Amino acid sequence: MADFRSAISPPGVDAASLSAGLVTALRRAGLSTSPDRAVRLAEALRLVPPVAREPLYWTCRVVLVSSREQVPIFDAVFAAVFDGRLAPGDRRGSTNAPPAIGSGTRLRPSPPSGLTSAPIALHKTPLPALLPGRELSGEGVGPERDAILAMASAEERLHETSFADLSAEELVQVRRLVREIVFSTPARLSRRTRKSSHSSSRLDIRSTVRAAQRSGSDATRLYYAHRRPRPRQLVLLCDVSASMEPYTRVFLSLLQGAVAGARAEAFVFSTRLTRLTRQLAVRNADQALARAAANAPDWAGGTRIAESLRRFVDAHGRRGLARGAVVVVFSDGWAQDDPDLVATQMERLKRLAFRIVWVNPRKADVNYRPLVGGMAAALPYCDAFVSGHSYAALAEVAAAVRDGRRTTQERQGNS
Amino acid sequence: MSNAARSGAEQDVQQLVPDVPSLMAALDDGDYLADIGLATALFLAVRLPQPILLEGEAGVGKTEAAKALARVLNTPLFRLQCYEGIDAGEALYEWNHQRQLLGIRLAEVRDAALNESDLFGPQYLLRRPLLQAIEHPGPRPAVLLLDEIDRADAEFEAFTFELLAEAAVTIPELGTIRAAHPPVVVLTSNRTRDLHDALTRRCLYHWIDYPAPARIAEIVRRRVPGSAGPLAQEAASAITKMRTLDLAKPPGIAEAIDWVSALSVLGITHIDAPTVEKTWGSIVKNRDDLELVGARGAAWLVGDGSG
Repeated sequence: MADFRSAISPPGVDAASLSAGLVTALRRAGLSTSPDRAVRLAEALRLVPPVAREPLYWTCRVVLVSSREQVPIFDAVFAAVFDGRLAPGDRRGSTNAPPAIGSGTRLRPSPPSGLTSAPIALHKTPLPALLPGRELSGEGVGPERDAILAMASAEERLHETSFADLSAEELVQVRRLVREIVFSTPARLSRRTRKSSHSSSRLDIRSTVRAAQRSGSDATRLYYAHRRPRPRQLVLLCDVSASMEPYTRVFLSLLQGAVAGARAEAFVFSTRLTRLTRQLAVRNADQALARAAANAPDWAGGTRIAESLRRFVDAHGRRGLARGAVVVVFSDGWAQDDPDLVATQMERLKRLAFRIVWVNPRKADVNYRPLVGGMAAALPYCDAFVSGHSYAALAEVAAAVRDGRRTTQERQGNS
Repeated sequence: MSNAARSGAEQDVQQLVPDVPSLMAALDDGDYLADIGLATALFLAVRLPQPILLEGEAGVGKTEAAKALARVLNTPLFRLQCYEGIDAGEALYEWNHQRQLLGIRLAEVRDAALNESDLFGPQYLLRRPLLQAIEHPGPRPAVLLLDEIDRADAEFEAFTFELLAEAAVTIPELGTIRAAHPPVVVLTSNRTRDLHDALTRRCLYHWIDYPAPARIAEIVRRRVPGSAGPLAQEAASAITKMRTLDLAKPPGIAEAIDWVSALSVLGITHIDAPTVEKTWGSIVKNRDDLELVGARGAAWLVGDGSG
């Protein structure tokens, strides 16, 4: 490592340009770092003199990395910068330098155009196609009104049509409607309190004393407080494997609306599980879906429901995300893994969640019977089983999410 | 934030923690084994100074790191366990209303004059951990541990910004209280939700990896008196082996310590299959896991083979 040691000594002088260079290289690799981090790193390097690779590595990592996911990117960039894969000039890292950095450092996920599936192709559709509903409803209307008016319009046919049978333009309209669906989950009591007029609630001494103090007299009036109800967490797990493809386009819009509007947590899975809450939280729907697509590398692959559920429960559910939550699974239940494994993981999920709602578009077929495979294995653990194959059917999903009962119900198809 | 942060640590602290190796040695003396990554992280947290966010699997010693740091600095540790719905009244301060009422009554009985500033004076203030850490008189800064910050809701996270940035809190009745010695802040998270960018931006970050068997054995030896023999090493390798299974709750360092403690209480000095059968309960704490491990068998766990 004599190479970089000589390059950065004396540390007091060169620490600043070293920090700036590393931060710039990281930003080019897609790891966003604010300028104040570079300042902080320069400061840190003065405290921990970079006399060998290890102290330098740890100092840079502690200051510049802010989550575990960033560690591999950081490691790659660090290696590229300090293990001599870069020309020394690049290390100075002026922002307008040409991207001469070896292709190894450009770790930003490949753009959505590199992916093959329908969800991405969709938002390439010209935006004006989104607008008929608005023109029809006139000025000053909110999204709900849009939806209602659209429902009453000649477009009504759309609401009953299965998502799989929609044309491209129809799909754009339906996706827009679907995004506006408002989910509300059953409430639970939080630890926060709210003023109450009922003396059956707990006495709120704080408010009582404050009021007494304000009026300058004895505590004449008593104030009460009760624990405030809060909506339960909503968790959406969407199967994006090949067999679900006609529906995932719409379901993703649903996920996006729920993340933005109901603070839901969204995951997609086919062969692996990907958390998309962050990507979908962007206001611009098209942008959100593009970011989501870029972050889930396994679109339209096979389905490993049991494995994905296990990953969800282990990495997220058990830690608190699914505890007392309403969990909605969008999947046709066609799994590559053993039904027994699906049952095991569903049982674990059931122990954590308040309710599990399973949305299976195949249920719309009158001849469909969930008798075999993953679906049959999962069903005993579901509190509700609905189809959600069309816009109208999504009302059932919303109702199932709102439902506060925990009993298993409606096991059969809708024949 | 910048001005406070750039000034560096106090002279006293600088002498106590001159560089990373000496902090490592000091932690070691306090029976906390930190690798160079963690030691660098803690060193920078103390010396920059800057709050540090520690993440890692349950039981890798996140909370313990803060405690060990407090021992090294020889200052008190103020710990705030976060949970959903935690608010300023539980984290920062609360007025002792019962005592205030009593004060009013007493004043009435004695026919004494009582004005508002009497009622909202320091003697009626209940100090919660955040305020205690800020008011700590010194000579060295206290260590403030915000444990499992991800369990608190986002509003509370925002509420801690003032504290993290300014090392000051504002109480309407008393004014702004500024820390004479800004506390060393350690946050831990179990990643149940994404923390706000504004919070992570203010913090240093370190992910604590699960340690290798040799280090586990060393930790166990430090913690359990009378486990000097091969017991600690055997337990550590058995637990590491068990972690290769797909368990819902993989045993951690705490389980290793519990297990070895249990074995030494039972007077056992060597781990074999029957011993493991008897003491499953110290390491496996979930019925599904018990079935899984049971299927592989105790003999597999203590066997020398790698399989």
